[in-house]
Amino acid sequence: MDLALLIQTIANSIVAGSIYAVIAVGLAMAFGVMKMANFAHGEFFMAGAYVVYVFYALLGWPFPIAVLMAVPIVGAMGIITERLIFRPTRSNVLAGFMATAGLAFILQVLVGQAWGVGLMRSVPTPYMGAADILGAKIGWQRVLVVPVAIVMLSCLWYFLFKVKYGKALRACAQDPDTARLQGIGINKMTMLAMGISGASAGLAGALMAPIHPVTPYMGHGVILTAFIVVVMGGMESIAGAVLAAVLLGFIHTFVTTLSDAVTAQMVGVACMAIILIVRPEGLLGRVKA
Amino acid sequence: MTTETDTEKTTMQNGISRRGFFKYTSASIAAAAAVSAGAVFEVPSLIGPAAAATEPTGDPINIGFLGALSGPDAGWGLPGLTGNQLYIDAVNAEGGLLVGGERRPLKMYAFDDEATGSKALQGAKQLVLEKDVKFISAIGGNPADATHPFLTKKKVVYASLISTDIKPDRPYLIAGGDVTPRIDMLRPFYHRFINPHLKRWAVISQDDTIGLTSQAWEVGSALSDGWEVVYDVNYAIETTDFAPVVSAMLATNPEVVSLNLSYPTFVVQIVEQLYLQGFKGLISANYLDTESILQKVPKEYLEGATDSFPLFDDPWWGSPSWQENFMTEWNARYGPGGPEDVHREITGIDWDHVITFKVWAEGVKLAGTVDPDVVLDTLRGQDSIPTILGPGKMGGKEMWGIDNMVSPPIPINEVRDGVKRVQAVVRFEQWFDNRKDEIIKVVRDKGQMFDQR
Repeated sequence: MDLALLIQTIANSIVAGSIYAVIAVGLAMAFGVMKMANFAHGEFFMAGAYVVYVFYALLGWPFPIAVLMAVPIVGAMGIITERLIFRPTRSNVLAGFMATAGLAFILQVLVGQAWGVGLMRSVPTPYMGAADILGAKIGWQRVLVVPVAIVMLSCLWYFLFKVKYGKALRACAQDPDTARLQGIGINKMTMLAMGISGASAGLAGALMAPIHPVTPYMGHGVILTAFIVVVMGGMESIAGAVLAAVLLGFIHTFVTTLSDAVTAQMVGVACMAIILIVRPEGLLGRVKA
Repeated sequence: MTTETDTEKTTMQNGISRRGFFKYTSASIAAAAAVSAGAVFEVPSLIGPAAAATEPTGDPINIGFLGALSGPDAGWGLPGLTGNQLYIDAVNAEGGLLVGGERRPLKMYAFDDEATGSKALQGAKQLVLEKDVKFISAIGGNPADATHPFLTKKKVVYASLISTDIKPDRPYLIAGGDVTPRIDMLRPFYHRFINPHLKRWAVISQDDTIGLTSQAWEVGSALSDGWEVVYDVNYAIETTDFAPVVSAMLATNPEVVSLNLSYPTFVVQIVEQLYLQGFKGLISANYLDTESILQKVPKEYLEGATDSFPLFDDPWWGSPSWQENFMTEWNARYGPGGPEDVHREITGIDWDHVITFKVWAEGVKLAGTVDPDVVLDTLRGQDSIPTILGPGKMGGKEMWGIDNMVSPPIPINEVRDGVKRVQAVVRFEQWFDNRKDEIIKVVRDKGQMFDQR
């Protein structure tokens, strides 16, 4: 690998890591609070992309507005999912898993019925052209993901550590029973967690719509990576998810450049397995008492 | 165009003028496919009995459509229903297919195989045993592998889009209307002819069966035409981020980047990355969906890019022409505001299935029977068979072990001002005869000949 390719690959890795981080933090947050994995998280990502497809590509709204529209719309989907699926199945983790797996298929079919299956929906690139960073060429649309990821994660950090409701969320994640004794409404918190989770997935999908093929099935490829990131990072750790996302971004991009995407996926899963063997709680996860 | 084509042209024009006779249906084809999942369903026709210029005089011939009508591969299946149905309605508007002096109307039944072998076998059995179909229009690939023992036993002609499905033990499987991989073999020749100063050829496609095989044929052809193949890699079909794939390829400094049989979705992403990462050379691909690509890169960047799926509004075809009328008819019926609006633009796949379907229909007319052995022998014996891309013939034994490949002339397009336009039409057979030994050696070295896979 020569220097130019090395720089290009590092730049590609940073972008990939940022994308993974934006997708995975919502999944980590939902799991942290509810202790249940949302298999429809990939479809929330897909829903965000379709919001941009509809508002930006079909209706001609400005791209930033279309992206912002995805946040409340998919956030609302998260809240509805919590209310209709996770809350009734709270005492039965397996039922929750299966119900969200079913939800994933339902969302795929609904979107397919509404906008058709088949070849990808074409979302024009709003910011054509590439940034030249030390000789590495990165499309502006991809560059955009990096600051958005930083801003989003910073806001999330501020919310979780400085805002009352954020602190309550953390309390629920750490010890729901004690949190309840302190007067924190668990139902409100799980709803809030799923709202944020959905909103972040929607934001990720919206940002990726001009880059990623927009199809009803686009969530499939995303969910596996998101789970690897969350498991590597520590199932309930948002900081761990971010760290794992960056690591996986580098692993996937370098291995894909040097070999191919299947090998990259294998190496990513192998890294996850090694981390779990050495540190079962994940990179930044905490050992339960 | 031939007289036969002119006849059909007239028919299609008549079809438009008879829109008052159309039986409007509220169910779209896609919806019908969805609600009929797991079962054969009749594809609705817009041609009512009163619209036929001539009354049928024989029993209907049932046609099957066996492909993905839902799921990720539906993009290869659903458009086939539109094109095939247009052709069927055009034939039926004349009273049906002329078989042994009888006019036999065509009726199409479809089954959604979801691109799954087991589903495809279920569909094949339903289509053959319940509907007695004589011809199955399909996408191919895994479903072809799964269905061919049954269809061979039942002697039902199966038309695949994928020539690599042709094998000597599949006597009733025909393909080749889709010009893959012949176009991938001819593009190096075309670029060598047009740009003799260029030397360095890079080629990528996904690592599925057709990508591996098609790329092997292209590499052999590029080498036989004097190209230095500097990059020859099959990327994983699971790839979602093409930035690293393109970075690795561009590190070899190619002058022409060929995307071989990369699927349209991949092509859009790869071309975008080629643009973003500053590739200045020529782009060549099996299929360029210019409408989607131009949403990602400036029009100027795509200038001169080459593929082989022409547009049917290309002046090359003339006006009026079968192609122009097909497009007009398609837009009137399936386009915006049409009675069966499919909410998308016409694509090459809308007519891709029709090529082989029409060839089989020509064989039936010539043979005067639907007996598959007679039909295929008749087709193989023809010096020229009318196809929608021009006169073709059956061949392919050296590539696939049996002469079951429909071989029409192959158009080569370049993008001009954002629009694909035919620049040349090349006959494959003569070109191949002159270099086949060299090419086949490369394909064999890569383990991609029909008897190696």
